[in-house]
Amino acid sequence: MTDNPDTGGGVRVFSDYVRGARDFTEEADVVVVGSGPSGSVVTYELAKAGHRVILVEEGPPFTPQEFSPDGNISMARTMREGGLRSTTGTLMPVLQAICLGGGSLINSAMCVRPPGFIFDEWSTRFDLERTTRADLDPHFDAVSEFLGIAPTPEDVQGPRNLLFRQGCDALGISSEPVDRNVRGCRGSGECYTGCRARAKQSMDISYIPQAIQLGARVLTSLQVQRVLSEGRKVQGVEGQVVEPFSGRTSHRFKIRARWVVLAAGCMATPVLLQKSGDLANASGQVGRNLQFHPGSAVAGVFPQALNPIFGGTQSYQSLAFLKEGFKLETMWSAPAALAVRMPGLGEALVKHFGELPRTAVWDAIASTHRSTGSVKSRFRSMNPAIRWRLHPEDMKVMLRSIHVLAQIFFAAGAEKILPGVHGLPDELHSAEEAEVLRDYPIRPGDLVTASSHVFCTTRMHGDASRGVVDEDGLCHGFDNLYIADTGIFPRCPSVNPMLTAMALAHRQAESLAERI
Amino acid sequence: MADIIWAGIFIALLGMALGRGWAGYSRTGPSYAVLARREAAFLEAAAEVLFPPSEGLPLSGVEADLPGYADRYLVALPVRQRNLLRALFVLFEHATLVWPAAGRGGFRRFSSLSEGQRLDVLRAWESSGLYLRRMVLTALKAVLILGYVGHPRSLGALGLAPWKLESPRVEADYLYPPIGEGRDRLPDRASVPASSPLSPLLSPPLSPPLIPGVDQETS
Ligand SMILES: Cc1cc2nc3c(=O)[nH]c(=O)nc-3n(C[C@H](O)[C@H](O)[C@H](O)COP(=O)(O)OP(=O)(O)OC[C@H]3O[C@@H](n4cnc5c(N)ncnc54)[C@H](O)[C@@H]3O)c2cc1C
Ligand code: SF4
Repeated sequence: MTDNPDTGGGVRVFSDYVRGARDFTEEADVVVVGSGPSGSVVTYELAKAGHRVILVEEGPPFTPQEFSPDGNISMARTMREGGLRSTTGTLMPVLQAICLGGGSLINSAMCVRPPGFIFDEWSTRFDLERTTRADLDPHFDAVSEFLGIAPTPEDVQGPRNLLFRQGCDALGISSEPVDRNVRGCRGSGECYTGCRARAKQSMDISYIPQAIQLGARVLTSLQVQRVLSEGRKVQGVEGQVVEPFSGRTSHRFKIRARWVVLAAGCMATPVLLQKSGDLANASGQVGRNLQFHPGSAVAGVFPQALNPIFGGTQSYQSLAFLKEGFKLETMWSAPAALAVRMPGLGEALVKHFGELPRTAVWDAIASTHRSTGSVKSRFRSMNPAIRWRLHPEDMKVMLRSIHVLAQIFFAAGAEKILPGVHGLPDELHSAEEAEVLRDYPIRPGDLVTASSHVFCTTRMHGDASRGVVDEDGLCHGFDNLYIADTGIFPRCPSVNPMLTAMALAHRQAESLAERI
Repeated sequence: MADIIWAGIFIALLGMALGRGWAGYSRTGPSYAVLARREAAFLEAAAEVLFPPSEGLPLSGVEADLPGYADRYLVALPVRQRNLLRALFVLFEHATLVWPAAGRGGFRRFSSLSEGQRLDVLRAWESSGLYLRRMVLTALKAVLILGYVGHPRSLGALGLAPWKLESPRVEADYLYPPIGEGRDRLPDRASVPASSPLSPLLSPPLSPPLIPGVDQETS
């Protein structure tokens, strides 16, 4: 192995390796694997503390010219397995990013602090004494200030978000504008395909450039395949250069570091540990306890035109039902992608397309604590085999969330809804008709769901025999191996996870900086 | 003797399978980067019944060139997913062997069925009690709907074409060259007008209104 040619500006991209065309080795105090919200916060904070940090990312950096407004093509380029990753057991698409910035590049920037009772549950059930909301608030504050997180202003809400508020108000359900990590949002509603307005403070344009200014180095298009270890200590990571999109691997690299932080995401981190000789798995919990927030959406058609392409992508929400197990939110996406959930075939289907300008889509994410699964490595692949089964009781919670959404739609003046439940009529025309949702004997598979929120595969637990990491993210039984991603959540957080992941990463970085 | 009979049966079955899978598809028409002509024929046949001409939208499924769209999508996918999707097209085309269409010749491949039969076949998939079968149809619909509704003429007619938006320059633009390109493609810092927000942390709020409608014919 040789040293690689110097990188301009602290970032290395695929063409740099092609030019070098040889195996290479790097050295740093800390190597962070994965540039999603967690890895980026750790990288920035450690660089700020004066440490030599290398951030490694398998995906490429995207520029606005490379964002495609087409939902299929965008997902094929920015998501793992071309956007077609899915669970087995209960079949559910799972969306996960592969790009600089991880999920933050193509998420809708919702930043939600979980209420205190969620952390109370975490701390009591998982022996996490220092993980109360009060403990984490300073970290939430630090991240919020850095990213300019604030409630979505009224002038970029647009009709489809404001109608949600109207419906909630009419029913006495509390709702609020969503806090988001955006600066100067124009309400283009295209967060999922990348923010051309450069308003969304995704990691690639916020934490990462700032970390680079502080001396961090960012190596993209590198797939880490193994953590190097001996006894209680890790010595770095190794892997291969990977070509963007095709995924073709070429020459090898090694990064030697005194500290390793795995932030490759809830699906990839356990696979990396498994591929590294079942590392950090004395508890047997690596890859287990997998949880999701499955999402289900309802479309409502209004009598008036909504100009639905205007408005923050997901800018209004209700936390009123968190204790019941679900959260309600508005959403928008590439119109053609939303059209996929339209029922019917032939003329009936095309008629629904014609209604898109009068359509709003609202969704619910469910805290399906009873539905668990696992992530296992596959032979000759870094992609995981994901098994998961939706529990019938959780299914009922999801149906209840759809029922509530239906009520809100009709209270807001919708002329009909498309519930998207197999076995029910394609359209329901009134709140009374929607009562059919109340007791419908729903089965997994009757509802088309998807999830982009994944948790718990390397869960944090005060008891080393029942979890993978401690409260600072340090792997039990190791001196210098950390995990920082949503895999360390002990339970699904019931709200959108990015902000919590960053707050936890902020705390970890502080404690790691002290130890270094 | 028995061996000869079995060999004869095997050869006959193989011939039928090859005939069903390969023969009779048009040899002319556009060529694609990935898609085979028989896959294109299947997609066209599905698009024809999924999206008939209507008053609401300015073009039908056939006019939207959905095989061309699917081909672009397949090119963008990783190889494994690309092959899976192509397998799904083949599966659907020949699933009439297991779930035939009603009426004469219901066992023929999907693209050889009449329009009415094709619609009936799709209906049967959509209302199937088998979750997996419904999901296969959803996956097929997803590819075709994204191409059809996402067609610039459809989006334009619906008033849902993407906004005309300029991307203000941010610090990151000096760090990342376009994907696959070298550092020489990075913009020159000196060429940036003084008013451009260099750091996202300093950028002032931009305000609506947005400008509707990119060029709908060409986007
Ligand atoms: C479409 C979508 C919308 C969402 N909307 C929201 C929202 O509005 N609000 C919210 O709170 N959450 C949202 N989420 C979820 C949120 O984005 C994720 O929870 C968050 O990104 C998780 O952060 P992470 O750091 O744990 O991992 P990730 O963001 O998944 O980052 C992990 C990174 O590691 C890289 N990596 C993986 N394996 C390797 C390897 N072997 N070598 C090198 N690099 C590797 C990956 O490419 C990836 O970039 C959304 C997610 C998606 C996909
Ligand atoms: S709504 Fe549009 S402008 Fe606002 S953050 Fe999302 S993509 Fe950017």
